[in-house]
Amino acid sequence: MTSTRKLRLGAVAAALALLMTACGRDDETADSSSSDNETAETVAPGDTTDTGGDEEAAPAAFITPEDDCDAYDATKGIEGGTIKIGTVRPESGPYSIYDNVTKGLDAYVKAVNADGGVKAGDGTTYQLELVKADDAYDPARTPGEVQRLVEQEGIFAMVGQIGTSNNLAVRQYMNDACVPSIGLATGSTEWGNANEFPWFIGGLPSYATELHAYLEYLKTEMPAAKIALLYQDDDFGKAYQATLKKDIEGTDMELVDEQSFNPLTETSPESKVAQLSGSGADVFIVGIGGAPCPAALRAMPGTWTPATYVSITCSGKTAMSLAVGKDEGLYSVQATLDPGTPADQQNPKIQDFFTRGAAQGLTESDLQGGITAAGWGFGSLFVRALELTPVVDRATIMNTLYSMDGENYGLMLDEAQSTTDGDTDPWVLEDLRVVRRTAGSWEEVKPLISYDGQSNDFAG
Amino acid sequence: MSTASEPIAGTSAPLAPQPPVAKAGRNWLSIGTFGVFAIILIVLPQVLNAFWTGRVTGWIPIAIAALGLNLLTGYNGQISVGHGALYGLGAYATALVINEWAWSFPLAIVFSAIVCFGAGVLIGLPALRIKGLYLALVTLAVATLFPQVLEQFSDTTGGSTGLGVTSPELYRGRIRDRSIKFEAPEWTGLASDQWRYYFFLVVAAICFLLVRNIVNSRAGRSIIAIRDNETAAEVSGVNVARAKVFTFGLSSALAGVGGSLLALYLARVSSGSFTLTTSLYFLVAVVIGGAQSIAGPAIGAVFIGVFNDVITPDLPEAWKPASPLILGALLIILMLVAPGGVAGLIRQFTGRMRTRKLVNSAINNPSSGGTT
Repeated sequence: MTSTRKLRLGAVAAALALLMTACGRDDETADSSSSDNETAETVAPGDTTDTGGDEEAAPAAFITPEDDCDAYDATKGIEGGTIKIGTVRPESGPYSIYDNVTKGLDAYVKAVNADGGVKAGDGTTYQLELVKADDAYDPARTPGEVQRLVEQEGIFAMVGQIGTSNNLAVRQYMNDACVPSIGLATGSTEWGNANEFPWFIGGLPSYATELHAYLEYLKTEMPAAKIALLYQDDDFGKAYQATLKKDIEGTDMELVDEQSFNPLTETSPESKVAQLSGSGADVFIVGIGGAPCPAALRAMPGTWTPATYVSITCSGKTAMSLAVGKDEGLYSVQATLDPGTPADQQNPKIQDFFTRGAAQGLTESDLQGGITAAGWGFGSLFVRALELTPVVDRATIMNTLYSMDGENYGLMLDEAQSTTDGDTDPWVLEDLRVVRRTAGSWEEVKPLISYDGQSNDFAG
Repeated sequence: MSTASEPIAGTSAPLAPQPPVAKAGRNWLSIGTFGVFAIILIVLPQVLNAFWTGRVTGWIPIAIAALGLNLLTGYNGQISVGHGALYGLGAYATALVINEWAWSFPLAIVFSAIVCFGAGVLIGLPALRIKGLYLALVTLAVATLFPQVLEQFSDTTGGSTGLGVTSPELYRGRIRDRSIKFEAPEWTGLASDQWRYYFFLVVAAICFLLVRNIVNSRAGRSIIAIRDNETAAEVSGVNVARAKVFTFGLSSALAGVGGSLLALYLARVSSGSFTLTTSLYFLVAVVIGGAQSIAGPAIGAVFIGVFNDVITPDLPEAWKPASPLILGALLIILMLVAPGGVAGLIRQFTGRMRTRKLVNSAINNPSSGGTT
């Protein structure tokens, strides 16, 4: 029968397509090792060295499980001195580059265990166990994987879970189950909403705060700036767009042209950049991540030399090298040390990261890339919370995270502080400095400024 | 009467001609199989814990969408790799009517089915002139365009960030949009995961019964006749255009019901879930389960579900990224061993049993076997 033959043909085609997906992923993986850091939603916090803060203070009760939870298991996942944590990331599929975040987290957990474990605020020393799951960056697969970790593996908390829509896909579930998700690997402004979803706490600066810090700098340096914006057509780019419009209101600065770029449907931002270059703008804000970000820099015509800003996610070593010479004079902001910048490499925190990370098998490109350092940072946020919490249970650890006072953990800049409040200020990274790319490394042009407690105001 | 000499062999029952006897035997077999499976499906959530009940529930939307694709591809001979888009359309339709107008779940499902029926008819119209591989290409375009359309209207669809399926509730003194939840009525005494499973199961049962009845009806014979030989079907009085467009519409409506259930299941829709890969999974489910069989798509969906939810998580760490490759390889092997899919294998097996029975009864009872 011809239809059977047709079907068989279809089946072979489907099989081939599946094989191609797999092969395609191999390419991506190869790519990921070389382009370690120019990708969305991943920046670098880091390891823990400083142990400031008073361990004894009981945190304010932002979460009261008796009122907020139907079923609450305070210490699930803690057994025999080991705390089991979980993370979900794309190990397969086109976004497997983000797996490098988990690589950093994994190395951090191993490093902590190799050093004898974490001495928690309750006086007990715990070992950590990390259980990883793969959702291939498909938000439809995330719930199943998270449920597996929570219900089957019985994890205590999620740490450093990747992707905005992936995290949104399980936010309700995690809040219903009253399981903490700590150090989300995304800077979406959604994570400012701790009052509705108190069991989620972000691990990156809000995208809105990031841009606001640069615009503040611009206000003093170029008060009549004509701005051209290239933004990614998603949560990240739209946060940029909203913040920009809000910030320039009532100033002499002007948004002269904006173009959206869709990483799913467009291969290169070149034509958009060409259009923007004709706008007469003297400031260019590149609100896109991943490989298209350096591609946009490369596409800038030689005659157009605006002050150009790139996001934290596009400021890592590899992204800069992909810009092939166009990185000189770029602006960006930083909340954490950059392991790819020679000046920062002298910092004891980065040196510690290099030694302990290398001992756990991280390669040089992992160590300097930036993405892996971000994962290291999410791990250290969790460990810091453990060190601070007077009682190791799910609600207390969240309450601890929501009442931090001037903490400095991981690879945070030396003077940066983490101060939080669940009700008004659930953001851990809000101290940022403006930097400029000079001769292959980032140099401070505006010292660290604390936007503590204001991140939610910057969101449009 | 010519049969007057045979009453000894027939004894009590009047001797029926051979085919009805075979049919009766087959009926018993299929009713028995059906009963066993029905009992398994009903008892499942009582045996499994909440987690596994949830996993199995998640296979049902795929089964329904694959059922729709099977109607189109298996029975009507039209290839579509665009069902992932219709699946998505159904999901978004449900998300929108629940978020905007707080429609009830069954109503939202029906709405999705209608919307997708319409979309299917629209796609089906060019399919009247385009056949085979070219049709596959047209539907391929639909599959690849869909996520881009979602991005284009990201104010409504949420773009790649997606859209929660929510209803407002009071929480910690504020009103928040809460993801929808399946609450079992008091009298059932069921947990919410069990209730959701049974809800999905009933929807699936309705869909499968509908397709079964259509395939066995006059319309179904037209659909199959078109697949086997379009010209002959037309000559025999089948309105080919109408039947083809109708099949496309119905098939799309089923994909829409599947998508609608997915939206209810995840309480979230996002463009990343409705890519070309989704369409391919449906095709894989149809091929693995066995095209041209009612139960085939369900078997295929279970196969994919077991592969993704049971086998893949237990693979050694180094093998995990290769899971699509393993699935592809399995598919190739299956095509070599059983081109008719699992359902084809079963049919082959039962067919052989039946032939043996027939042969045996013919040997034991030569007088009745020889006629006809």
